[in-house]
Amino acid sequence: MHPCLQILKFQIVLCICIMLASCRGDEIVYPTIGTHVTDEVRNGGLYVLCEGNMGSNKARLDYINLHTGDYYSNWYGAMNPTQMKELGDVGNDIQQYGHRLYAVINCSHKVEVMDLSARHIAKIDISNCRYMAFKGDKMYVSAYVGSIADPDMLGSVYEVDTATLTVTREVKVGHQPDELCVVDNKLFVCNSGGYLTNRYDSTISVIDLTTFTEIEKIPVGLNPTRIRVDAQKHLWVCCQGNYVNAMPSLVILDFTHILKRITTSCSNISICGNTAYVIDNEANTLRAFSTIDFAEQPQPIDIKNYEHPYGLLATDEALYITDAKNYVSSGVLHCYGYDGHEHWRALTGDIPGHLCRVTGEYSLAPDTGSHEDVHRYLAHVYEYLPGMGQFVNELPKYEEGDDAETMCRKCEQAIANNAGGLVCLGGWGGYITFGFDHPVENKEGRDIQILANAYYMTGSTEYGSSEPGIVLVSRDANNNGMPDDTWYELKGCLYDNPQTNHTYQKTYTRSGDTIQNPFHKQPYYPQWLEEDEYTLYGAKLPSQTVKISGQTVQKILDFGYVDNKPNNDTIGSSFDISWAVDTYGQSVSLPTIDFVRVYTAVDEINDPTGEISTEISGAIDLHIE
Amino acid sequence: MNKNILLILIFALCARSVFAVSDAELDSLYNQFHIEEVEVTARALAKDVIVPQTLKGAELKRLNALSVADALRYFSGVQLKDYGGVGGIKTINVRSMGSQHTAVYYNGVQLGNAQNGQVDLGRFSLDNMEQIQLYNGQKSDIFQSAREFGAAGNVYLTTRRPYFKDKERVHVRAQMRCGSFALANPSLGFDVKLTETLALNFDAEYVYSDGRYPFRYRRVLPSGEVAYDTTAIRQNGDINAVRVEGGLHDYYSTTGFFRIHAYNYWSERGIPGAIVNNVWRNGERLWDRNNFVQAEWQDEWFNRWNTRVLAKWANDYTHYKNYDERLLPSNNEYLQQEVYFSFANKVRIFNWWDASLAYDYQYNILDRKNLLIEAVPEHFNRHSHWLSVATAMNIKEYLRLQASVLMTAVQNDKSSITNDKCKFTPGIFFSLRPYPAIDLSINAFYKQSYRYPTFNDLYYTDLGNANLRPELARQHSVEVAYRKTDKTYHIDLSASYYYNRVTDKIIAYPKGQQFRWTMLNLGTVKINGVDSKADFSFFLPLNFTLRARLNYTYQTAIDVTNPEDTYYGHQIPYIPWHSGSVVGGLDWKSKRGDHYGFNYSFIYVGKRYCQQENTVYNEVLPWYTHDLAVYAEWNIRQFWLKANFELNNMLGQDYEVIQNYPMPKQNIRCTLAFRY
Repeated sequence: MHPCLQILKFQIVLCICIMLASCRGDEIVYPTIGTHVTDEVRNGGLYVLCEGNMGSNKARLDYINLHTGDYYSNWYGAMNPTQMKELGDVGNDIQQYGHRLYAVINCSHKVEVMDLSARHIAKIDISNCRYMAFKGDKMYVSAYVGSIADPDMLGSVYEVDTATLTVTREVKVGHQPDELCVVDNKLFVCNSGGYLTNRYDSTISVIDLTTFTEIEKIPVGLNPTRIRVDAQKHLWVCCQGNYVNAMPSLVILDFTHILKRITTSCSNISICGNTAYVIDNEANTLRAFSTIDFAEQPQPIDIKNYEHPYGLLATDEALYITDAKNYVSSGVLHCYGYDGHEHWRALTGDIPGHLCRVTGEYSLAPDTGSHEDVHRYLAHVYEYLPGMGQFVNELPKYEEGDDAETMCRKCEQAIANNAGGLVCLGGWGGYITFGFDHPVENKEGRDIQILANAYYMTGSTEYGSSEPGIVLVSRDANNNGMPDDTWYELKGCLYDNPQTNHTYQKTYTRSGDTIQNPFHKQPYYPQWLEEDEYTLYGAKLPSQTVKISGQTVQKILDFGYVDNKPNNDTIGSSFDISWAVDTYGQSVSLPTIDFVRVYTAVDEINDPTGEISTEISGAIDLHIE
Repeated sequence: MNKNILLILIFALCARSVFAVSDAELDSLYNQFHIEEVEVTARALAKDVIVPQTLKGAELKRLNALSVADALRYFSGVQLKDYGGVGGIKTINVRSMGSQHTAVYYNGVQLGNAQNGQVDLGRFSLDNMEQIQLYNGQKSDIFQSAREFGAAGNVYLTTRRPYFKDKERVHVRAQMRCGSFALANPSLGFDVKLTETLALNFDAEYVYSDGRYPFRYRRVLPSGEVAYDTTAIRQNGDINAVRVEGGLHDYYSTTGFFRIHAYNYWSERGIPGAIVNNVWRNGERLWDRNNFVQAEWQDEWFNRWNTRVLAKWANDYTHYKNYDERLLPSNNEYLQQEVYFSFANKVRIFNWWDASLAYDYQYNILDRKNLLIEAVPEHFNRHSHWLSVATAMNIKEYLRLQASVLMTAVQNDKSSITNDKCKFTPGIFFSLRPYPAIDLSINAFYKQSYRYPTFNDLYYTDLGNANLRPELARQHSVEVAYRKTDKTYHIDLSASYYYNRVTDKIIAYPKGQQFRWTMLNLGTVKINGVDSKADFSFFLPLNFTLRARLNYTYQTAIDVTNPEDTYYGHQIPYIPWHSGSVVGGLDWKSKRGDHYGFNYSFIYVGKRYCQQENTVYNEVLPWYTHDLAVYAEWNIRQFWLKANFELNNMLGQDYEVIQNYPMPKQNIRCTLAFRY
C-alpha cells in the first residue's frame, strides 16, 4: 500500500477514536450539589435567589438547610426537574407568604409560585415583573411595562389573587416601578425611571388598595428603587441618584413628610427590629441606622474586602450578606452574628441578590408523585408507650412475649383503617405515634380528625368526659420513613395558659406499680418494657375536673385537644396543621405532615374513674374523600 | 448516539475499500481544483513563510456552506460563534485570542467595524468567492499595507476575478438556491471584457429565509427517565438581504494593475434572541446598509521598486429596533463612515533582500442616535495612523526571514495621542527548509499585536470607558509542514504548536452602582494549542478523485488574571479543548468533462463552558454535525451547469454553539447554477 494511504488510514482511525471518545449522550438536567457549611443548628432554612445574567437563563434558587448546615445549589432545579429550561432568566425577588414561596423571574416574565420546599405549583405571567408585596389574600407585583404602546412608558402594579393565582386588577404608576410595600390599606411604590437614562423618576406612588387607584405621588429623590417599612411605620426609601452628579440618598418619610434624608449610597436595605441596615456600595460598608431617631449606629460588620456587596437580609438571629463578585461568576453568601463575627460562608450561583428566610420544617425530598390510591384513615402505628394506668396492658391486650413492635401491631388492629377499637394512652405523658399512607396536606381549615371517646354531660356542651391529649406533628425531613424528626406541637387553647407547664416530666417505675383499682387488677406498668423505669416529657395541662351534682366531670376545652369533644363534633375533634409551633412557641408553616403523636396531657387521678387517660379510636385525613 | 458511531464506521469502511483500489497511473484530476489564481505581485517570494490555510475554487464550492462563516469552520484553530439560522450573527475567533483580534480583508482591504470591532461573516456569500485564506500571525509578504501587520489573525476573502479565454468577451452566471426554512437565494452575475486589459464584473444576490426552524430541548434525569422534551419553532429569525457589487479591473501590464470595487449590502432581519424559560419569541429587528468603494493601484519600477496605493470609503448604517412590548422600547440608529488610505512601497535591495515601508491612515465616524429620546445624534470620531517597516531575506534555499515593526497611533475625538494610544509592535518570522529536494519546512514566528478599543468599548451609554488601553496579544508559533505532489496523489500535512498570551484584555466589569457595567483592561489569558491538518487527494483509476481533509485542534486557554478569582486557571468561555473536522469526497469526471461526486463533512466541537467559571452549570455539551452534498456538473459546449444537493446536520442533532441559541436540525439546500 502507498505510504500516503497509510498515513490517511492512520488519520482516519485517529479521528474515529476522537469521535468515539467524545460522543455526547443524553443531556442530563442540572444537578444539585450539597455542601456542608456550618455545624450551627437553626430552625428552617434560607433560600438564595441568584439572578444570573440576562439571556443566560441562569436564575438559580439555592437553599441552605439551617438545621443540617448543608448548602444546596440549584435546589429548584432538583425539586422540579421537569420544568422546561429550569427556573428562568434573571431572578429578581423572592418572598414567603403563607405556605408558599413566590419568586419573580424578571426576564422570564413570570412569578413562580412554589410550596415552601420550592416545588412548582404555578406560574403567573406578568411581563417584565420586578418586585412583590402581599396583603391578605392578595399579592401586588410591580412591572416595568404596563399597557402596550404607552408613549410615556409608565409601569404598572398588578393585583394577584393568591387563591386563584390570577391577575385581578392593574393600576398604572410612574416610570419603571421597583420595590413596593404595603402599609395599612395603602401601597407605596418606588418609581425608579430606570429605563430613562438622565431622566430618572423621583416619586413614590401611593395606591389605595380598596379602589386600587393611585391617590398621590410623593417626590422623594432621584431614582428610588427600594422601599421598606419599619415598626414605627416609617418608610425607608433608597434613591440611587443619576450615577453622575446627583448623589444617592436614603430617605425616611412618614407617608407625607420627609423626616430625614441621609446622603449615602444605598444599594440594598434590610430592617430588623429597630435597626435599618444599608449597604453603602460606594464605600463598601454596611451602615446601620436606628429606626427610632435615625441616628447612625456603629457598623456591625466589616465588608471592605467585598468585591460587590449585593444581597442583604437582617434577621433576629443573623445578618446575611452576599458578595456578587464580578457578576459573571459564583458569588458568596456570608452569615454574621451581630457581634460582627462571621459564622459561615457558602459559594452561590451568579449574582446572589435575594434572600428569603423560611422557618419551620417542610418536606425537602423531591415529590415522588402518585397521590392515587390513598386512604383517609389512620394506617400505621409507629410507637405506643402509655403512662401507667388502669387500662394499660388491656387496651390493647398484653400477652406473654409481646414487645413494643407487636404492641404497635395490636394498636393498628384496634384503630387503623377505621377499625373502631380503642387504644388507651394511660397516665400523663403516655403516647402513641401514628401516620397515614400519605403525607397529610396543610390546607385551609382543619386537616385531621382524631377520634376518641369523649362525651358531653347530658344537657351540656360545657362539661363532660374530657381526657385531653396534646397533638404533635412532624415531617419526615430525613426521609427515612421513621418518626425521628422534629416534632411541632399543635397549639391548643391552653397553650398560653400560665398554668400550663411546658417542661413537665414524669418517671414511671415497675416498683411503683401499686395503686390498684379493684376493677383492674392487671399490672399497670407496660409489661412489654424490659426497663424497670421510664421517663416521659411534655406539657402538663391544668386540671379541668369539677364535681357537678355529684358527678365528676371535666370542663370541655375550647379547641386543640384529643379526647375532649365527641367524635360527632367534627370540627371540635379536628386539628389544623397551621397551629403548629416550635419549642419556642414560634409558629411554623408545614405544607404537609407525615406523623402525628398524641399524649395524655393531664396528670390527675380521680376516684372512682381512675387516672385521666387519653384514649383514641382512629384518625381521618379530612382532605381525602 | 449509536447511530452516529455506525455512520462513522460505515464511512470509514467505505473509505477503506476505496483506498484498496490499485493506484495505477491514470489521468490526473488534480488540475481541476487548481484553476487559475491571481498572483497580485510579480516576483513575490515564491513561498509563504507562514503557510496559510486555504479553501478555493471548486473545493470551496463543494463544501456544505452558505456563507464565508460556514466555510471557515473547516480551518483548524478557528472557533466560530454562530447564533443560528441564515440571519444569525457568525463571527470567528482565531487561536482563542478573541474575535476582535481577527481582521477580515475583502479583496485586500480590511473590513472595518469601528463600533464593535467584529465582522459578521455570515453576511458574505460564497457565491462569488474565489478563495478564502487564513493566516495566523500575518500574511508573510512584506509588501502589504501597514495595517495588515496589525492583527493577530487575518482572513483574506478574494472574490472572483474576471478571467477570459481567447475570444471570450462575456461571461454570464445565474444561480438559484432553495432550501429548508423557506430559503430562496437567487444570484446573477456577468463579466465583460472591455479592452484587452480592462474587464468589468458585476454580481447580485438576494437571500430570503423565514428562519422558522424547529428546535428541541430534551433533558433526562440521571435515572434515564425523560425530564422534559419540547420541540418548538424558532421565531423572528427571518432575513431579507440584497447584495450588489461590481468592479473594474485593468491589468495593464505584467507588473501593474488598477482595480476598483464597489459593494452594497442591504438587509432586514429579525433577531430571534435567547430561548429562556417562558420566552419563545423576541421582537428585535435590525436593518443594515453597508456600502463601500475601494480602489487599488500597484506597479513596479526599475525592476526592484514596487508601489501599492489603496483607498477606501465605507458607509455603514444600522438601525436597531425592539418591538417587544414587554421590554425597554428601543430604537437606535448608527451611522459609521470610514475613509482609508494606504501607501506601500517595497524595494529589492539585493536579490535576496527586500525591504518595505508603508503608511496607512484611517478616519472613522460614528453617529449614534436614540430615536426615542434624542433628536441630535451623539458623534464620535477617530483618526488612526499606521506606519510599518519590514524586511525579508532569503538565505540560499534554506532559510527565509522576515521582520516587521508596526507603529500604531490612535486619536479619539479631540483627545491627544498619549503613550497608551501609540504603540510599537514587532513581528519576526522565519522558515527553514532543510532539504531542498523535499518540501518540508519548519516555520516559526513571534508577533505582538494590539486590539484597540472600539467605539462601543469607549463610549457606549453608561458602559464605555474612555481611558481604556489597547489589549495586547503576544503570539509564539512553530509549525512543521510537509507537502508532496505526485501523479497519483497530493498530500499536504502540517502541525503547529502555539503559545499566546493576551494581556490587558478588555472586559465588561460591574461598577460600584447596581448593575452598571463598565469596560476595563482586566484580564490575562494564556493559550496553548496544537493545530494539525492533513489534506489528501488521490487520483484514482477511471477518472475518480478521492479527497480528504482533516483538521484537529487541541487548545487550552486559561484565565490567569487573579488567583483570587473562582475561575482562575479555568478555560475561558466558548473555547473547546478539542475540535476538528473531517471532509471527504469522491469525484468522477466523465470523458466529456462532466463531474459527478459527493462530499461528506463532519465537524466536531468538544465540551466547553459558556462562562468564565468551569462549573457543571456552565458546561456546554459537545456538538457534531454530519453534512452530505451530492453534485453534478455538466459542460455543454460553452455552457456549464451544476446541480448540488446538500443535507446538513443529517442526524438532526439538537445543539447549541452559543448557549440558549438553538441551531437547526436536519435541513436541505438545492442549488442549480448556470454559467456561460
